[in-house]
Amino acid sequence: MNSVKLLAAAAGLALAACSQPATDTASGETEAAAEARVVNVYSARHYSSDATIYAAFTEATGIEVNLVSANGDQLIERVRADGERSPADVIITVDAARLHRAEQAGLFAAADYSDLASGIGANLVDPEGYWVSFAKRSRVIAYSNDRVQPGEITTYEDLADPRWLGRICVRESGNAYNQSLLASMVAHLGEDGAQAWAQGIVDNMAREPQGGDRTQINGIAAGECDVAILNHYYYAMMVNSDDPAAQAAAAAVTLLFPSQETSGAHVNVSGAGIAVNAPHPAEARALIEFFFSDTAQRAFAEMTNEIPVRSDVSWDNPTLAAMLPFVEDDLNVSELGDHNETAQRIFDRVGWQ
Amino acid sequence: MDKAGSPSRLPGRSSGLAVLAALVCAAPILAVAWIALTRDSGDYLQHLAQTRLPVYLTTSALVALVAGGGAGLIGTTLGWLIARTDFPGRKTLSWVLILPLAVPAYVAAYAWLDLSQAGGPLDAVTDGLFPTIRGGVGAGLMFALVLYPYVYLLARDTFASQSADAYNAARTLGAGPLTAFWRTSLPMARPAVAAGLALVAMESLADYGTVSHLGAPTLSIGLIRAWSGAGSLVDAARLSLVLVFIALVVFGLERAQRSRARSVNASGRHKPAPRLALNGGPALAAMAACLTPLLLGMIIPLGRLVWLAAHTETATGLAAASLHSLTLAGITALIAAALGLATAYSLRSRTTIATLAARAAGLGYAVPGAVAAVGVIAILSGTQALIDPAWRALTGEVFPILLTGTGAALVFAYLSRFAAAAISPSETALARITPSLDGAARTLGATRRRRVWHIHWPLIAAGVTSAGLLVFVEVLKELPATMILRPFNYDTLAIIAHNFASDERLGEAAMPSLLIPLVALLPMIFVARYLSRQDR
Repeated sequence: MNSVKLLAAAAGLALAACSQPATDTASGETEAAAEARVVNVYSARHYSSDATIYAAFTEATGIEVNLVSANGDQLIERVRADGERSPADVIITVDAARLHRAEQAGLFAAADYSDLASGIGANLVDPEGYWVSFAKRSRVIAYSNDRVQPGEITTYEDLADPRWLGRICVRESGNAYNQSLLASMVAHLGEDGAQAWAQGIVDNMAREPQGGDRTQINGIAAGECDVAILNHYYYAMMVNSDDPAAQAAAAAVTLLFPSQETSGAHVNVSGAGIAVNAPHPAEARALIEFFFSDTAQRAFAEMTNEIPVRSDVSWDNPTLAAMLPFVEDDLNVSELGDHNETAQRIFDRVGWQ
Repeated sequence: MDKAGSPSRLPGRSSGLAVLAALVCAAPILAVAWIALTRDSGDYLQHLAQTRLPVYLTTSALVALVAGGGAGLIGTTLGWLIARTDFPGRKTLSWVLILPLAVPAYVAAYAWLDLSQAGGPLDAVTDGLFPTIRGGVGAGLMFALVLYPYVYLLARDTFASQSADAYNAARTLGAGPLTAFWRTSLPMARPAVAAGLALVAMESLADYGTVSHLGAPTLSIGLIRAWSGAGSLVDAARLSLVLVFIALVVFGLERAQRSRARSVNASGRHKPAPRLALNGGPALAAMAACLTPLLLGMIIPLGRLVWLAAHTETATGLAAASLHSLTLAGITALIAAALGLATAYSLRSRTTIATLAARAAGLGYAVPGAVAAVGVIAILSGTQALIDPAWRALTGEVFPILLTGTGAALVFAYLSRFAAAAISPSETALARITPSLDGAARTLGATRRRRVWHIHWPLIAAGVTSAGLLVFVEVLKELPATMILRPFNYDTLAIIAHNFASDERLGEAAMPSLLIPLVALLPMIFVARYLSRQDR
């Protein structure tokens, strides 16, 4: 172990010259007030537009933002391992199941978000009060304008019908959004019903899963498949793209928000909570409040094509506006976390790659 | 293994240090093994064995075979062409051929799938005839195209230093150039080729980004899924032990190659072979052979990215990210090269402990970066927790977060991942210094220091510098460990590229992706010049 420390210390010294100035730690609390205020953010969001939001936050509050972004599970492990000395103030993920997992690992401080959450839909707030959602994304269906009639498909369940044999494009099951969609099916149909549905999708696949959500739209445009499952903002991204090929592919499909008469379209969230050992809890609270500001909500709609949780904020994005409103699944998103492992095992059993 | 009185044997002190250093590299993997074996878990692995495990294993084998076969073919052919023949452009190609190594495999995969997918440009131009680059074969091809330089570098150096005697003897006995190559030059280069292939195989097995995007469910996909889907770090750690076991087998095979080849090099005579001058058709064929992998592994995928970049806005923060990438890669490369050399020297002592330590240090190469990062976190947070009681007694606070979340943790993880890349080339280089060479120098009264600096170093400089370069480029491309361990506000080029690419925003991913090989270019040119100066 000595050598481990030695090497780490040596490397640390070598890096000291070029690494970031140390963020104030627990031991520096007394001086913290005199220094510039900071908030340390661990975020699974990796959108470059978030930099704009953080800059606006610093402008408005004088609080500097320190950011680490990584995959949600990795962030959770890092905060968990650092324990009491973790510098994390705010933890942000883009999947409700990850928020749930962080909560289960005891990483969030209990807080009262009711003032922020009023009017955003009770299904978007953790029932235990550990985290709150600030932007929504829906997992929807796209179908070919040429080969599918409007009305031919209306629900998620329709996709498992043999009539779609060899006609579905969808990405791999390791993807968190697919897992949460299946978790919602588990909540609605039970484990057996969800497995039958997943088996139906696998049987109907036009090709082995590959690529991301945009790849699936390209698949329809190229005639490899007729329907696809994807997050709504990938379609919006293609419509709003400067690339003519992407625009053309998007123009070949129609986006459908499924199950409008039944369970509603599946909704997942970007959400945040305050870390249980946050060195700067007040600043953390300020940042989460800022995510609900007009500025941030508008940025989500205009820059990442996410659906703002507040419906009373105006923004300019005709592509997104054309999709709204739609009937949302009112399942509390924390249930997506409850059923995540079940969903994972179903994927394995039905051989959804 | 003649152990007694080997003149090259170094005193225990220096090999002891090297053993310690090697164990440092192995520590994160040992920590992961400890997590795997001591913590409880549910029935997830049982579930996996009944469902997806066979697919994970067969896909892993397929990917490793295609990657190894492709990289072996390309690397050996090009190594021989550059080292033993002469044709127009050879000198430039000698170092340009290394450059695909700087293209992350996942970047090549994003570009190739984009080009070849249904509706993509290649699909449209060929009317659907061009196959979609995907699955185990597609992923294996991507690895072959960007990792062949491992084989090429080692094979080229070996071919260049090979004595011409055996080849000439074969020619005298009536063998054609090809047969002579096949029967003499190639077997002599086998240890180097095997070392390169072992690296290619391990790297493709540890990869996550490429296989995930191309839909090739390898074991590392299963491992990350056990972690992210089932939320079980323990099961992920146990699956990574399977990868470590595979690494043991692969490295074991490589060892076997090497020890059989020992007798071949024993003569110690180095009569440089004249280059075979190629003209006309053969020269064109040689150029085509060199340009094809460059085209497929670098020019076409990066060209696609340039085209996409021209259609999108450039991301911000690229200058800072380039600096961060260079800093991390530079520091790690220097430490790794020193470490690799020290370990290679300690291996010459042929003590069991040195051999075990060096092999253990190489195992990090077998596990995905995310797993190595978990090991680093476990060790550093454990160390901090050990310091806590004393620190609390002194200050009343927990020990501040000095180890995790700093550059030190990152360099630690990099060393653990890539030490194998530094040890192997140094070892191959040192293997060329025959015991009789040391013996002769000693007889002539050279001190140990003098032997090392005036006889060993000039002979091994090329190998050691190549080792540093390999690690440098690996760190530039490294993604999962960097993501999880980096300090605040510390984006690297690979991270920016990946963030955009994972959102399928290839246009914005294009610039940072292009900068990775560009950033690698400067040190590579420097090293390439240095290496050609060493060329005898």
